[in-house]
Amino acid sequence: MATERRAEVTWSGDLLEGKGTIESVGSGAFGPLPVSWKARAEEQGADTSPEELIAAAHAACFSMALSGGLARAGHTAEALSTTATLTFVPGTGITKSVLDVQGDVPGMDEAAFREAAEAAKENCPVSQALKGNVELELSARLL
Amino acid sequence: MVWEGSSAKGRGAITAASSGAFAGLAYSEPARIGAPDGETSPEELVAAAHAACFAMSLAAELTRAKAPPERLTVRAEVVIDEVESGDHRIVSSALTARARARIGEDAFRAAVEAADAGCPVSALIRGTATVSVDAELQEV
Repeated sequence: MATERRAEVTWSGDLLEGKGTIESVGSGAFGPLPVSWKARAEEQGADTSPEELIAAAHAACFSMALSGGLARAGHTAEALSTTATLTFVPGTGITKSVLDVQGDVPGMDEAAFREAAEAAKENCPVSQALKGNVELELSARLL
Repeated sequence: MVWEGSSAKGRGAITAASSGAFAGLAYSEPARIGAPDGETSPEELVAAAHAACFAMSLAAELTRAKAPPERLTVRAEVVIDEVESGDHRIVSSALTARARARIGEDAFRAAVEAADAGCPVSALIRGTATVSVDAELQEV
């Protein structure tokens, strides 16, 4: 079944000095959130950016896929802690996403965990959308 | 972000680690595929990223055409669906843009096209899914 998710953004003014706002999302989970070019390409302040949102989407998507993979291997994660770091090069685009996951998975060995993490990196829907354009890297370890 | 438990019954919490703009946003598998029930999802975050990215690109192109926008409203709708393999994939992102700017219709169309070509998130999504743009110029 197809699922739709939406977001609405407003912007006023030019790129460099203008102001943007993620006004709302379909779920109501967040917003309004300010976005700006400065936060995107110059210095990170309190504003978010498209790349930070993609990083959040990628970390979330990967973690859910990994928990599913662990379940199929007969394991349940006590906790997975994942960071996705996206690289944005102005003029070129988004070039890289680095996933770093630490897992607390009782009874699982390191090699099996890494294998499950590698599969999640390849197959989660956001990875699939990034692949081809963006270099994906993964570092996975058990606590 | 942190995830606890199996995919079907587990729960995650998402934090913007760089800006701190959002923190502890809940998400779960049932809310991702079914009714969101107040929870965000990876696809909703992609929609927010795409709308924000396109708005910035269009602001840049309109400025280049000497018509920085008074206001842009951009909505992105991302669709995730089950594909033949049984996996879920992002299959499309549909952008709807409304612009208030002092510019002619032809120049506006050219700016919209350039914005779509130049937006890094459009480029990403277009690698494996469809991106569509419905843009309309409104009177200033």
